[in-house]
This record gives sequence, structure tokens and C-alpha cells, in this order.
Amino acid sequence: MSATKPSVGYHTIWVWLMILLAIGVALLAAPVSKTVAVILIFSVASVKAFLVLRHYMHVRHQPLMVYVMLAVPLLLAIALAIVLMPDIAFR
Amino acid sequence: MSSAGVAEHSHADSTEFTGQPLGKIGVWWFLASEIMVFGGLIGSYILSRIAAGGWAAERAHVNTTIAIINTIVLVTSSFTVVKAHAAAEADDRSKARQFMLYTVILGCMFLCFKGYEYSREIEHGLTPASGLFWSFYYTMTGLHGLHVLVGIIINFSLFIAAGGAAWPHIKHRFEYAGLYWHFVDVVWIFLFPLLYLA
Repeated sequence: MSATKPSVGYHTIWVWLMILLAIGVALLAAPVSKTVAVILIFSVASVKAFLVLRHYMHVRHQPLMVYVMLAVPLLLAIALAIVLMPDIAFR
Repeated sequence: MSSAGVAEHSHADSTEFTGQPLGKIGVWWFLASEIMVFGGLIGSYILSRIAAGGWAAERAHVNTTIAIINTIVLVTSSFTVVKAHAAAEADDRSKARQFMLYTVILGCMFLCFKGYEYSREIEHGLTPASGLFWSFYYTMTGLHGLHVLVGIIINFSLFIAAGGAAWPHIKHRFEYAGLYWHFVDVVWIFLFPLLYLA
């Protein structure tokens, strides 16, 4: 992995992260329903996280094993929330 | 295989795994375990919030302005730490140290703003005992703040060590420290909308 020759400049990514932060905050005042606003806010947050992972952590240059190592706990954490959902739904 | 070949092979086995240095794999492994820690907390928070009907009244008391400033500070520190890593790869010691120092300063700024935010909330009687929302708020931001503190210590140690004769042996650690710091940033990227926006 070489951090010295990024495909997109680190400055550019930083600018995008700032723009996305502004969009996320602006969505609070957007004339959309609360549910749509929440979905959009978390979509923006996911894009920001993706940019950091891809361009700052250089995840795309990592071997498959790293993806597996990260995916397993992520799926477990999501599964934890899903399996507990009925407790709220049928309360 | 000659004895020299065996020796070379075992050396490679002890320092690399799937073509990556063991230290780097170790950092990724640690970060994977951290996903479970923060993932479990965030999952519990979302479920409890749905069950409690949204916590709109409680969330009206959090300071969004300070959180926005802190997000800018932390995202900028991610930029400086990746610049430090790039400089270390280019064997530019002074630039690597300079950007690592910026990262440490930005990390300290984050903690100062967070401390100020806590003090304001506690002044208004909003403590971890004030309700489930505040319990989650202090646990998640407190645990994240602890990670920032650990990151600052690691980054500062690296900044000091890089100034000495050990530089050729430790410059690859800028990448490891950077991976940890970016992870802390990613966690905040999700905590910010969860606690302050949505």
C-alpha cells in the first residue's frame, strides 16, 4: 500500500467531508418528514465513513482477510440489534 | 530447501501474514473487536430510543454547535494524520512529525470542547443519572473520548520517538497509529448524528 500516491487528493476528501457535514446539518431544517430526514442524515454519515475508510484508511488496498475481520463483528452487531427488535415490537 | 532458505522463510512467517506486516494485521484485529464494542452500544441505544419514543425532550438539551465544531476538529485531525503517514512513507521525518503534532493538538482541542460541553450539561443537572438517554450519552461519548485520549498518547509518543535515532525502525507505525485514529473518527461520524442530529 502506498499512501504517497492516493487516487484522490487528501485535501479533496477533506473538502468533501466538510461539504457532507454541512449537508447533514442542513437536513435538520429540510422540509421533509422526520423519517426521511433521519434516513438521509444516516446516508450522509455512511458516505462520510466510506470516504474515510477508502481514502484515509486505504481499505481497498487491504487483503480479503481484513474485510472478513471487519465484516464479522459488524454483522454480529447488526444481528444483535435485529434479534432484539421483537422485544420492542411486541412489547 | 537450504538452511538459509529455511531461516529466511521462518523470518517472513514471523513478520508477515497474507502479505501484510503482523503489526498491521494486529491493528486491524483490534479495530474489528472495537466494532463489536461500539456496535453493541449503538445497537442498544437505537433499540432503547425506539422503545422510549425518541427522547425528543432530552435531546433538545444537547449542544449541537459544540458537536459540529468537534466534528470539524476530528475530521481535520484525520486529514493531518493521513498526511503524517504519507510523509513517513516518503521518509520525510520533519513533515511527518509536524502533521502528527497537529493531530495531537486537534485531539486535545476535541477533548477540551467535550469537557466544556460536559461541564455545561452537568451545570444544568444533566448527569448520567438523569435518565436512560443521558446514561447512553455519557457512556458513548465518554468511551469515545477515552479512545481519543489513548490516540493522543499514542500519537504524541510517536511524535517524540520519531525525533530520535529510532526513526527508521518506527516510521511504519505512523500508519498503525493512523488506522486507529481514523477508526475513532469513523465512530464519531456515527455518534454525531445519533446523539445530536437525528
